[in-house]
Amino acid sequence: MKVSINWLKDLVDVDVSTEELAQKFNIHSAEVEDFYKLVEASNLVVGYVAKKEKHPNADKLSVCQVDIGGELSQIVCGAPNVEEGQKVIVSLPGAVLPGGFKIKKSTIRDIESNGMICSLSELGIDKKYHNEEGIHVLNDNMTIGNNAVEEMFLNDEVIDFDITPNRADLMSVMGIAYDTAAILGTKLHLKEYKVKEGSEVNPVKIKLDTKNCMSYYARVIKDIEIKDSPRWMQSRLIASGMRPINNVVDITNYVMLETGQPLHAFDYDLLESDTITVRMAKEDELLTTLDEKERKLLASDIVITNDKKSVALGGVMGGMSTEIVPTSKRILLESATFDPYHIRITSSRLDLRSEASTRFERKVDPKRSLLALEMATNLFTEYASGVALKGISKVDNIDYSEVIIELSLEKLNSYLGSSYSLELVIDTLIKLDFEFDVMDNIFTISAPSRRRDILTYQDIIEEIGRIIGYDKLPLTLPKTVSMGKLSERQLFSREIRKVLSGLGLNEVITYSLVNEEKAYDFTKEKTSLIKLAMPMSIDKNVLTHTPINGILDSVKYNLARKNKDIMFYELGKKYEEKGETELLCGALTGDLSSTLWQGRKEVVDFYLVKGILETLFKKVGLGHLEFVPMSDYKNLHPGQSAYIVDRNDTVGFIGKLHPSYENTNDLKDVFVFEIKLEEMLKRRRPLKKAKAINKFPSIYRDIALVVNTEVSSKELSDSIKKSGKRMLASVEVFDLYIGESLGKNKKSIALRLEFSDPSKTLEMNDVDSRIREILGHLGKLHGAQLR
Amino acid sequence: MEVYEKLDQIKLEAEGHIRVVKTLHALNEVKSKYLGKKGSFSEVMKLMKDLPKEDKPHFGQVTNEAKQVILKYIDDQKLLIEEAIVNEQLASETIDVTMPGKKFETGNVHLLTKVREEIEDLFIGMGYEVMEGPEIEIDEYNFEKLNLPKDHPARDMQDTFYITDETLLRTHTSPVQVRTMLDNDEKGPIKIICPGKVYRRDDDDATHSHQFMQIEVLVVDTNTSMADLKGTLLETAKKLFGEKREIRLRPSYFPFTEPSVEVDVSCHNCNGKGCNICKGTGWIEILGAGMVNDNVLEASGYDSKKYQGFALGMGVERIAMLKYGINDIRLFYTNDIRFNKQFK
Repeated sequence: MKVSINWLKDLVDVDVSTEELAQKFNIHSAEVEDFYKLVEASNLVVGYVAKKEKHPNADKLSVCQVDIGGELSQIVCGAPNVEEGQKVIVSLPGAVLPGGFKIKKSTIRDIESNGMICSLSELGIDKKYHNEEGIHVLNDNMTIGNNAVEEMFLNDEVIDFDITPNRADLMSVMGIAYDTAAILGTKLHLKEYKVKEGSEVNPVKIKLDTKNCMSYYARVIKDIEIKDSPRWMQSRLIASGMRPINNVVDITNYVMLETGQPLHAFDYDLLESDTITVRMAKEDELLTTLDEKERKLLASDIVITNDKKSVALGGVMGGMSTEIVPTSKRILLESATFDPYHIRITSSRLDLRSEASTRFERKVDPKRSLLALEMATNLFTEYASGVALKGISKVDNIDYSEVIIELSLEKLNSYLGSSYSLELVIDTLIKLDFEFDVMDNIFTISAPSRRRDILTYQDIIEEIGRIIGYDKLPLTLPKTVSMGKLSERQLFSREIRKVLSGLGLNEVITYSLVNEEKAYDFTKEKTSLIKLAMPMSIDKNVLTHTPINGILDSVKYNLARKNKDIMFYELGKKYEEKGETELLCGALTGDLSSTLWQGRKEVVDFYLVKGILETLFKKVGLGHLEFVPMSDYKNLHPGQSAYIVDRNDTVGFIGKLHPSYENTNDLKDVFVFEIKLEEMLKRRRPLKKAKAINKFPSIYRDIALVVNTEVSSKELSDSIKKSGKRMLASVEVFDLYIGESLGKNKKSIALRLEFSDPSKTLEMNDVDSRIREILGHLGKLHGAQLR
Repeated sequence: MEVYEKLDQIKLEAEGHIRVVKTLHALNEVKSKYLGKKGSFSEVMKLMKDLPKEDKPHFGQVTNEAKQVILKYIDDQKLLIEEAIVNEQLASETIDVTMPGKKFETGNVHLLTKVREEIEDLFIGMGYEVMEGPEIEIDEYNFEKLNLPKDHPARDMQDTFYITDETLLRTHTSPVQVRTMLDNDEKGPIKIICPGKVYRRDDDDATHSHQFMQIEVLVVDTNTSMADLKGTLLETAKKLFGEKREIRLRPSYFPFTEPSVEVDVSCHNCNGKGCNICKGTGWIEILGAGMVNDNVLEASGYDSKKYQGFALGMGVERIAMLKYGINDIRLFYTNDIRFNKQFK
């Protein structure tokens, strides 16, 4: 909302600079996006083209003798429309035009030129406000030699406000004036209008067939002469960001800008009726709006009709059939109130956001309807030679009862944490121009109709708080005594991040929305996907079933940029109808670490990723989780993937991407994992009691076993543990050998067995016989031979 | 007296020999050549029996002295040799200590996690509990109970990803506040901070992201005031942007709070003098806040005559962008390693 300071000063005393006013609005009222001079130029005067001659050395230039107030000045002009007898804008030498363009005395093709005759664009008036190509021609009544910017009413400043949806009142110069008065403590100059009516009686009848039009006021004005609106009005419209059109349109806009009440003018002769009926549209009813588009209407749209067919989309846009044209003579002027909700759904459905609809959507002050009608009628009389017919047509169903709010001084101060005095609050309410009584420190306030956002005591507190200023509030902290904490799960998440980051992994955060086609890429059970009703693109139309999808996108992004060593993990979610499951996922590829000149590097392979997870598990009390071979995930390598299990329950998986998946996705040697966070959390076995250190020495035995390749190391270890009984303290694989010498489908696994007894030093014989037992079992169960 | 001459001669010869010996092994050989059983001294000692009795003590003394001199030569030389060996070892083991050390790649948490935890920890320190909730929410919790009925114009402010008419991707973490209030059976005081992912129907560009992270704070008690909010905001601003920061509250509008304010922090880059980061104003808008609207309290079963509260909400990306001078929000989600790894 752009507001002309000159206009504002008509309505309220302003005793500070525009900059200061802008700062105060920022702190006390509405956010100021910008403030600026309407025309940023100096040294411009009204000149009179006394003589025009063709430039001797240039076809397209003219040499003008311009009267700039008592003296003739020679100016070379390139505009084709410059003529003798025009009053024009002259920028004298020394003038600075917008963009820092400096005017100097110069010689143009051997002819001296003492300045420039200006166009509107050269004054910084954007093309959207006019369609002039050449220089601007001034009115005949302007005084030669005077400041041209002043004569044009462009010596104005503008504040551009960002108005929040609740402050409908600030969508008008009047509203800004009210808040200015409250902030500065200055006086308002409100205007009243008395219309001089003609003798002819206004015959129009209003019928409201819908409660979504709450009031409808109309006047008929005859003898209208369509022409340009006065220059001062045009300049204020330009300052407000609206393009001047003609006097009828400009007056309706001008009044709307000042009062906040949108008006609409119909060509009364084209209306072909003395009855205006407001009703809801019929389904599929057609109406061509002012923008020449045919609109198909719904029953939720409000239409203005001539009792037969619709002639306007109420509160949103007028219709073509009754548009004001240069030959219009009689107009019907509408000042009505419409239901904000219906205006909003109509304008957003048709993507038709007009100045009128924006105001109706936010609720207008119903008391301004009549004011605006009368103000406009007077302007039509004055600037369009109109004559108002006698009487106002109206139906007004508005409930004008006021909202009465009680607020105690005590509540106010408790709420704000302030200790404002009764006097200060009274003074503030007076500045706000609110009517109120006060008794025993309790205020009874009636909310003014212009502030339809004020409904509760909280709204009143906000008004008082902001006008006094939030900078006056003390700084305290809540008195509520409580213990700050993270839940066990939150602590667990933090610990996982700490461990994995410590092991060299980088956390990523990826998008939860993915392409439907990829959603099941790493899911075995295809539970139903959660789809967006209106996705923005097919690449983000469902919620993912695993963060692996997003992580792999990030992997690809990095590989494309030659970042080839990628160690990613993410704490994300699987989204299903039954709920959200937190997942710890990761994808690794490349080298975990390398010190190249030493020829050392750790390349990511299955065992490296598994080792990272095992380290994590040990660290967080999950050392008992195990890895069992798995081959049923379609996008994982069946020979290099495993379930992560706790006894019989699967809590996650780890695996190399399937070569086919890698090929289609342009990936190579990428390893992924996914573990359910909640399962990890509940399966932890934290150390409860310290274990005593065995003071008797252990005996170590290394054995190498030859088995068929399909026998897993885990099977061997499990059997060894079982037959080693309590004497076996630990078993660890230390070598794997596969070679011709062993025979086909054979491998050799070497294991180190540790034997101990907490109560005595073990005898060699005991160990030897236990080893024999173990070997016997391994032979029977797995066909294992000592190598 | 040729015996004595002979001794002198041996001494001289031995010195010459010992001084050029380079290894311990050779030194031992030289030692036995002169002092061993078949060594030169043994030879000389043999001559003693032919000496007159009275000369024997003197001869013994002289011989012994000569022996000590040679032993001294040997010890000295031994030290020299040992030193040379060590020096040689040192020389052969000398390396270029300026070559790079072994690389240990330490990982890191995501910048958003880092900033999020920083804010969480500040509030935990002030006695807040961290609460989380689902990202798929019902309209009732995301909007209706927050004073945003179905036809409320402010719903336009946050374009929403709907799943069905009644379920959606939450547009803020405020529904966690609703859930916490509803779940509080005693309807007692609340002091919580709610971080999490939220979603808006925005096209991704340098300043918009359809997914982002938000942190909201809620305090409800019988005496919670706007001054408490202001004090809390100042603590937050100082923690995030440095001890010297000041704050400024400007009137604003959110349906769930009344009064509502935008919170500016004095620019950390120019200390409020005005620069391109604060667009010359000296202030940077960092978050929105306000006193909880009574309708919100009542919708979750709190008696608004008894309780009042404040709420504040901030975008973690925005805070991180301001703090670290990041100018494109998409950087948080593309996860370019070169970007992510900077934040250890």
